[in-house]
Amino acid sequence: MKIIVLLKRVPDTEAKILINSKGSGINEEGVKFIINTYDEYAIEEGLKLKETVGGDSTVTVVCMGVEESTEIIRTALAMGVDKGIHICDAALEKATPAVIATVLAKAIEDNGFDIIFCGKQGIDYDMAQTQAFLAEKLDIPQVNVIAEFKISEDNKKVFLLRRIEGADEKVEADLPVIISCAKGLNEPRYASLPGIMKAKKKEIKKLTLADLDSSGASEEKKSTIINWLPLPKSGECKIIEGEEPGEKAVELARLLREEAKVL
Amino acid sequence: MTTEGIIILIALSAVLFAFVFIVYRLVKALRMGKSEDRFNNFGQRVKSILVYVVGQARVLSQPAGIGHFFIFWGFIFISLGTGEHILNMLIPSFSYEAFFGTGVAVTISFCQDILAFLVLGAIVVSLFRRFFLKPVRLESDDPKAGREAVFILGLIFVLILLMYGIKGIGIIQGKVDGSSAPVSNIAANLLRNNLIRINVVESVFVWVHHSLIFFFLLYIPFSKHIHILGAIPNIFFRNLGLPGTLTSMDFEDETADKFGISVLTDFSWKQLLDLYACTECGRCQAVCPAYLTDKPLSPYRMIHNLRGHFMDEMGSLLSDNDKEYTEKPIVPEVVSKDELWACTTCGACVQECPTFIEHVQKIVDLRRYFVLTEASFPPEVQPVFKNMEINYNPWSFGYADRANWAADLDIPLASDKKSFDILFWIGCAGSFDDRGKVIAKSVVKLLERAGVDFAILGTEEKCCGETARRMGNEYLAQTLIELNIEVLKGYEFNRILTICPHGFNSFRVDYPQAGYSKPVVHHSEFLLELVKAGKLPSGSTGNLKGVYHDACYLGRYNDIISEPRELVSGIDGVDLIELDRHGKRSFCCGAGGGRMWMEETIGEKINETRVNEILEKNVDQIFTACPFCMTMFEDGLKACGNENVKVKDIAELLLEASKESEKGKG
Ligand code: SF4
Ligand code: SF4
Repeated sequence: MKIIVLLKRVPDTEAKILINSKGSGINEEGVKFIINTYDEYAIEEGLKLKETVGGDSTVTVVCMGVEESTEIIRTALAMGVDKGIHICDAALEKATPAVIATVLAKAIEDNGFDIIFCGKQGIDYDMAQTQAFLAEKLDIPQVNVIAEFKISEDNKKVFLLRRIEGADEKVEADLPVIISCAKGLNEPRYASLPGIMKAKKKEIKKLTLADLDSSGASEEKKSTIINWLPLPKSGECKIIEGEEPGEKAVELARLLREEAKVL
Repeated sequence: MTTEGIIILIALSAVLFAFVFIVYRLVKALRMGKSEDRFNNFGQRVKSILVYVVGQARVLSQPAGIGHFFIFWGFIFISLGTGEHILNMLIPSFSYEAFFGTGVAVTISFCQDILAFLVLGAIVVSLFRRFFLKPVRLESDDPKAGREAVFILGLIFVLILLMYGIKGIGIIQGKVDGSSAPVSNIAANLLRNNLIRINVVESVFVWVHHSLIFFFLLYIPFSKHIHILGAIPNIFFRNLGLPGTLTSMDFEDETADKFGISVLTDFSWKQLLDLYACTECGRCQAVCPAYLTDKPLSPYRMIHNLRGHFMDEMGSLLSDNDKEYTEKPIVPEVVSKDELWACTTCGACVQECPTFIEHVQKIVDLRRYFVLTEASFPPEVQPVFKNMEINYNPWSFGYADRANWAADLDIPLASDKKSFDILFWIGCAGSFDDRGKVIAKSVVKLLERAGVDFAILGTEEKCCGETARRMGNEYLAQTLIELNIEVLKGYEFNRILTICPHGFNSFRVDYPQAGYSKPVVHHSEFLLELVKAGKLPSGSTGNLKGVYHDACYLGRYNDIISEPRELVSGIDGVDLIELDRHGKRSFCCGAGGGRMWMEETIGEKINETRVNEILEKNVDQIFTACPFCMTMFEDGLKACGNENVKVKDIAELLLEASKESEKGKG
């Protein structure tokens, strides 16, 4: 079985995000990048599926992103993924979900696939669109934000559980299918040291748009981000110091009248 | 040769042959272990033998050890006597007197007589302890362990009685000089009128005695008394380095598919020798914070079970044709996972062990296997490792926020200053933990006041790697250590100052292994230095009764015991009380070895146990010199519902006291 996992490089959850001066993106200085946290659940589910199915199944991660994305691909390889495909092209710098999906679809088709796992959304832009575009491009069903995953005996069907408001939803789908994953589905594994060592020797296939015969893909965008704006400064908090509650109340009234001008 | 001589010759040869064969197998089994260099520093090793074997220094560090002291020396002199007797049976002309002169013979006989008596006393006392006092030390869930101990004590008891009988009869017959053997003399008097066929009785005594000795010789290697063979070499080959040292791992070989220890033959020969050396005294168990709070871990049991396992497997390990044999995994077959993760690496067990067994290294090695090879550990540990990897701290704080605590303090950065006297290493707790930050700030204020030329690394500093290392994540630890060394090498300074005993220990033992040695001081030493140099006031406070808790990695591991006490008791108004368990024998707060980041679900909580011990002293404050001890005690106090007692780092205390004393002056 050919198992595909989509991967995205995103700023660390703890990183301080600042809009750059041009408003064209974030200031990357001092920002650490990690595997999109939801993608880790996708990797884990892919690896588990490979263990269940056995045989000559392979897990391949496909990542579209800047040069440095190799680092996160290696991390996935260290977790046990067999192979990496890294699509990297200057023309894709500002790619929107539709464009990304077009490019990913091409790479995935070239590689061959039976099932695709991805994170439910990128924790950077929170768009959650790529998998939908991709399902369309590949003309396969998609099931989002699953809580349980099972595969049929004959490996042709998946049984999924979705946790929705107040109920569980059982879904069945035929392969090939694209499935998005979130926290709670599994516990992503920690890379073992032999895994890390082996990952150094595993193949990462580097592809450009030309390699994928999709030089025009970047023009297929359905939307354009015009500008990023910093959030308006939230009001400052003031703590009123004082010994007596009465004294503090007087001060509060004064501030509300004179500074906040609400009274 | 007499018939007697011939029989003893045959018996002795057979027993010695069997004994040598058994010992040969024991040694051969050690060679199944990995290599480890313990042959350096010969002089120091010989000295260890004199102090710890001949002088029994560690054994004697506890009152019960006096009994062992007598048994040990009694055993040697009794063996000398037995040797003489057997040789005399073989060569009738042999005696110590004939060979070494009367002086030597009389001395040996006298020592033997007195010591053997003391051994009898010691045996009575230890049986009494075992059956009536039942100390924590001797608790064991292996009923065999207790039975064996009693059996051996009984055996020695009988042997000594027989020895007195033989010597007594010798006195009656005029073969032995009674004046040099007071106890035997009493035996002679008792026997004199009660024996009819004295020659028959004598030979019964002799044969029973010698048969028991032969039996004992062959029984030793299969009992806890194997330590008679193992302890002396183990003390000779002991770790001569700093106590906190762990072996370093080599990750060069990229084809390796296993790291750490999972089966017996992964241990080094010295680690296997440890197993022969255990006397089953249980001293390690009696001080183990995990054991004392009802966790499944007991260092004694771990060593006992490992030895049992080693003995069980020895046949298969040594056999040449058993190629199919695969070794049983130590965890979970011999040591459970809960045991493995319960250890705080406090080092109390290693310190107490009279034969210098190294428990902590074994525990860390077993952890290494699970963390590195299997990537398996308590689930709450994974985010800790990930945070350390990505943001270089165990909590989920962004690494870019590391110096936020210092934002409005105008503290000189190493990257600006380049060259300075003191590099103030803040550590993760000082950088991110709310209470830790207060310690860091207090030290900064004191340094500024004393006019110290210092700098901090700011966001260039990363987790020191100490915790990762003791949790078994050697790979992560080495990564962090290397990253830090790269930064440190860029600056010129004389000493590193830490407020955390863990970082302190790491700079003393871990960093030099990675090729970076720099003098490091803990703030308790450094602040005292400043006070003594008159650069800081010793301060004063209102009347305050407090205890100082020794952090394991400061007191036990690094011998910094008097400095914090001197600093604190130098403050006017502080009444410093000692806990029963203090200094090198302090009791862990429960945070070490990565336990800080693990759930404590089994047994009592270690921190609460220690807090309760402290509260019994009715103090106002607990003084600490470790941010992790501080957290553990603040949590412990909360859990005990005590809001009056405060925990203060010695730096906070000094800062407040120096302000206080200035107010006084003003
Ligand atoms: S290091 Fe401390 S916690 Fe660990 S086994 Fe020894 S005494 Fe127990
Ligand atoms: S390991 Fe050491 S301290 Fe513990 S029981 Fe054995 S000899 Fe005693």
